[in-house]
Amino acid sequence: MTNLPPFLRLGLLVALLGALTVLATGMGSSHMPPGRVAAALLGYGARMDEVIVWTLRLPRVALAILAGMALALSGALLQRVTRNPIAAPSILGITDGAAVGAVGFLWAFSDDANLLVVSIHWQPLAAITGAFAFAGLVTILAFLDPGGRGPLRVILYGVALAALAKAAVTLLMIVGPVYRAGQALTWLTGSIAAAHWSDVFVVAAGLAISAVLLLVARSTIRQLVLDTDSAAATGVPVGRAQVALLALAVGLTALAVSQVGAIGFVGLVAPHVARLFHGAFAGGYLAATALIGGVIVLAADTVARMIAAPLELPAGALTALLGAPLFLWLLLKGRRTHG
Amino acid sequence: MADALARLRAVTARYDGVTALDLIDLDLPEGRITALCGPNGSGKSTALRVLRGLHQAEQGEVEVAGRPLRDWAPKDLAKAVAMLSQSPDAPPELTVQDLVRLGRFAHRKRFAGQSGEDHAACARAMRATEMTDLAARPIGRLSGGQLQRAWIAMTIAQDAPRIFLDEPTNHLDVAHAFEVLELVRRLNRTEGRSVVLVLHDLNMAMRYADHVVLFDKGRAVASGPTREVLNEPQITQVFGIRCRIVHVSGEDAPTLVTLPR
Repeated sequence: MTNLPPFLRLGLLVALLGALTVLATGMGSSHMPPGRVAAALLGYGARMDEVIVWTLRLPRVALAILAGMALALSGALLQRVTRNPIAAPSILGITDGAAVGAVGFLWAFSDDANLLVVSIHWQPLAAITGAFAFAGLVTILAFLDPGGRGPLRVILYGVALAALAKAAVTLLMIVGPVYRAGQALTWLTGSIAAAHWSDVFVVAAGLAISAVLLLVARSTIRQLVLDTDSAAATGVPVGRAQVALLALAVGLTALAVSQVGAIGFVGLVAPHVARLFHGAFAGGYLAATALIGGVIVLAADTVARMIAAPLELPAGALTALLGAPLFLWLLLKGRRTHG
Repeated sequence: MADALARLRAVTARYDGVTALDLIDLDLPEGRITALCGPNGSGKSTALRVLRGLHQAEQGEVEVAGRPLRDWAPKDLAKAVAMLSQSPDAPPELTVQDLVRLGRFAHRKRFAGQSGEDHAACARAMRATEMTDLAARPIGRLSGGQLQRAWIAMTIAQDAPRIFLDEPTNHLDVAHAFEVLELVRRLNRTEGRSVVLVLHDLNMAMRYADHVVLFDKGRAVASGPTREVLNEPQITQVFGIRCRIVHVSGEDAPTLVTLPR
């Protein structure tokens, strides 16, 4: 695959994502063949078809794609900044940190009748706060570690804090109102069922801003494949670049998690697939990563709602099924190469 | 002295509380090959890192090319001084060509891709290091000597008039060490670049350096033309060994024979 020119490889990914979009939009309680979906998407469909496609199904499909893109980019950035192929938002405790923020928000702002006393639109902000708090904790712990800041240390702190965050979420759900607990649970395992166009626009706007920032910083991001001394010697303000890109990665994860829940391992898997399919040093690596992230989450969400229909599985359970073995494999491989 | 490459005045630097440089004063000449020599932990690598802004001095003044270090923007400093650190690291899948291109970072415009000038500089650097034939090879599949040359090519591609090399002959056998130092000499003699390098091997310093700084316990105990600094009593005192300097017939550079105490 990597001997095709980069734009052709990206074109292939776009085509794959497009085909998957048509397929996924067609699936549901009333099945629609791809031809009718395409017609409805282009505005030539029957009126009923257009309502089903545009109002009922497309928001969910779009949200899955965009959230997948955000998570994948976040993972690629984290791997580049920490120079660690095992780094990912769910492994560094960022995903679960966002979950603490979001569930804590439901718990803190409900009244006796289980009604929210503030607008639900504040929930993303709570998720972002939680994500930054946990990312900050991992960074501080790794920084203070007298035993050095080896790549595996950071992962260990991340995994430990993720466990802590999960425990906090469980506690919040037990002490919190029952109705909220149910809502929090579907949200936690990651489910895109309740998607609206307004959610889609929030994620799309965040992604658009991030894309501009990534474009501006792309040569710096490429330079960070070097160790910090070498990168600094070539003229990169390393400390500043690391902090800024880490913040962007955390923001991207929080953005996705606040809208679709704690879908894990996408940030780990997508960059690795992009590395194999596109090459980590070819131009357009981040674009390839984003497209693959979109494909993964859309595929996971589609399978999740079809496999046991009319029951819906959480999409996050499926991505974990794919991602956890890869995580283990990377850990084993890392041990082998580092003696 | 206007022709100073870099200058340290009363500089102290520490690593995790251990003093590596102790109120050191140092002047490095422009246009020469300067070797920093001394026992392990004497502060020579730290001095180079402080000069390049890779390690923060705790106190004192650091000056590069007549300007205080803190007044340099990162990219401007990179264009003025290139440095290869002691154990550089990049992913093994990166090709030689991609690695060398990373040396051009400081010359890139924000939204521009590779310019013709970038291409030319990379090609020159790979030719100088004889890496042109290996351009497409991943660096994980290079031998030790080739890998070191690839990193040096990246450093040269930066097109800086001054190059710092921190133990560039580390991990290299004698033949490869000579190869690297011959390259250093060419860079200095034919391209007029100043080179400052940390060297462990005093005979290599004797043969290739114009100027030597001898470090001991965080201070520069001697600094000057190579043959004035590397003399028997000085080496005996700093390294705590006996030594003889002999002349091998047909060789211009004197040879240092080291002996146990």
